[in-house]
Amino acid sequence: MSRRPEPRFGTTGLPQEQQRALRRATRLEVVTLLYMLTCVAAVFAVMGSSQAMKAAWIEDMLALIPPLAFLVAVRRARKAPTVDHPYGYHRTVAIGHLTAAVALLAMGLFLVEDSATGLVRQEHPPIGTVQLFGTTLWSGWLMIAVMVYTGIGPFILGRLKLPLSETLHDKVLYADADMQKADWRTALGTIVGVLGIGIGWWWADSAAALFIAASILRDGWSNLRYASGALMDQRARTYDDAAPHPLTHRVDEALTALPWVTASRSRVRDQGHVFHVEAFVQVDPDEPVILERLEEAVALLDALDWKLHDIVVMPVRALPDAVPAPTDPEGEKA
Amino acid sequence: MRLLARLAAVLLILLVGGCALSVPSDPDGTLDRVRDDGVLRAGASVSPGWVDVSADGRRPVGREPDLVMRFAESLGAEVEWTLGGEEHLVGLLEKGDLDLVVGGLTDQNAWVDKAALTRPFAEERVAGTTEKHVMMVPMGENAWQSELERWLDENAGGR
Repeated sequence: MSRRPEPRFGTTGLPQEQQRALRRATRLEVVTLLYMLTCVAAVFAVMGSSQAMKAAWIEDMLALIPPLAFLVAVRRARKAPTVDHPYGYHRTVAIGHLTAAVALLAMGLFLVEDSATGLVRQEHPPIGTVQLFGTTLWSGWLMIAVMVYTGIGPFILGRLKLPLSETLHDKVLYADADMQKADWRTALGTIVGVLGIGIGWWWADSAAALFIAASILRDGWSNLRYASGALMDQRARTYDDAAPHPLTHRVDEALTALPWVTASRSRVRDQGHVFHVEAFVQVDPDEPVILERLEEAVALLDALDWKLHDIVVMPVRALPDAVPAPTDPEGEKA
Repeated sequence: MRLLARLAAVLLILLVGGCALSVPSDPDGTLDRVRDDGVLRAGASVSPGWVDVSADGRRPVGREPDLVMRFAESLGAEVEWTLGGEEHLVGLLEKGDLDLVVGGLTDQNAWVDKAALTRPFAEERVAGTTEKHVMMVPMGENAWQSELERWLDENAGGR
């Protein structure tokens, strides 16, 4: 870690802003990893026989997966294309995203199962006392203290990562921010649950967990859907997968504006951080197709956005039927 | 960060509210009932050295029954004993017909998902391993369990 290679994705040079964001994100993920390790240790120390705390412990372990996936993906994605990997290594991001999504989904499923069975079987969670420095203390207080600790970190870290995931167009980072949101919410839910148990509401813990689990499950599912979508070469979407990425539209717009082009239709797929563009341009029959013009078109797209990376411009007589026309060209707002 | 402040406020209110409502407490009110009725319904299963039976065969005697009786005394209650096998007693504990079970049980016993175990109150080295002795109480009666553990800390003569 002492040698600092210039941050980049494959052969794509990064603008200053992205370079800074990448360094910062890497630092944040290392911090997250170390912090979550202390959480795993702290929860393990106080969990006793409490089911709720055992669930929190498993979640903390799962929360280690997305930061690891990010660090691995960013390292791999830096490699330049090779003979065997002519598209480069950008797709590691998609694999990282899939991994993080599965971790998030697993956490949601586990939490739903755990809390639902608790409610159905009407389990009354026992929380006894601990001896700490010679005094006897209700374990609930200790659990709450630990949950405050394990909650604060993700609350802050997740908020710091979210804007970086947009700057870098990094979906692993985005999924990780989702995971951290799930983490601090679960911690808060456990606190409410333990306090509920404290005042004699045996169902409070499971009910709070079930409520939170539903939102975690939804996040996990949508991440999984879009991570698999990206691996299936789905049309590129925004960093949060909320909408189709506006760059596809802007590529066609920029190409159509060229005097020798009458229409353009492009396929833009998300390689992970960067996009792969295949643009079919219908050439005005009166205009000659010359090399300089094609090079100019590629340079035009290259300058449009740092994410447009692997660009192919193909002159055609008529737009290919194989590429469907976008039905919502104006609705592609990020 | 405003959200964080709001979060802290909610927690504080919950904590203060929690203290006023006496934390922990029993969903089924075991501790209050033992104090009010003056009866502690205890189950005992024979385990040589920890729970034995009196000469007339009706009453458990020995180290653990003594502890239970002294604990009941501290609450101003009498002990109503039920003698039986572990499985039978755990069944009664689950149904809420018993408040406490002793029987030379250790923290490794097999009833953990049916009964709550107290923190160990005695340790003994047996054949190279340390056996940690516990009592069983109903699941989730946390004020009751905490009261018993607190009492055992002070009266069981060191763990």
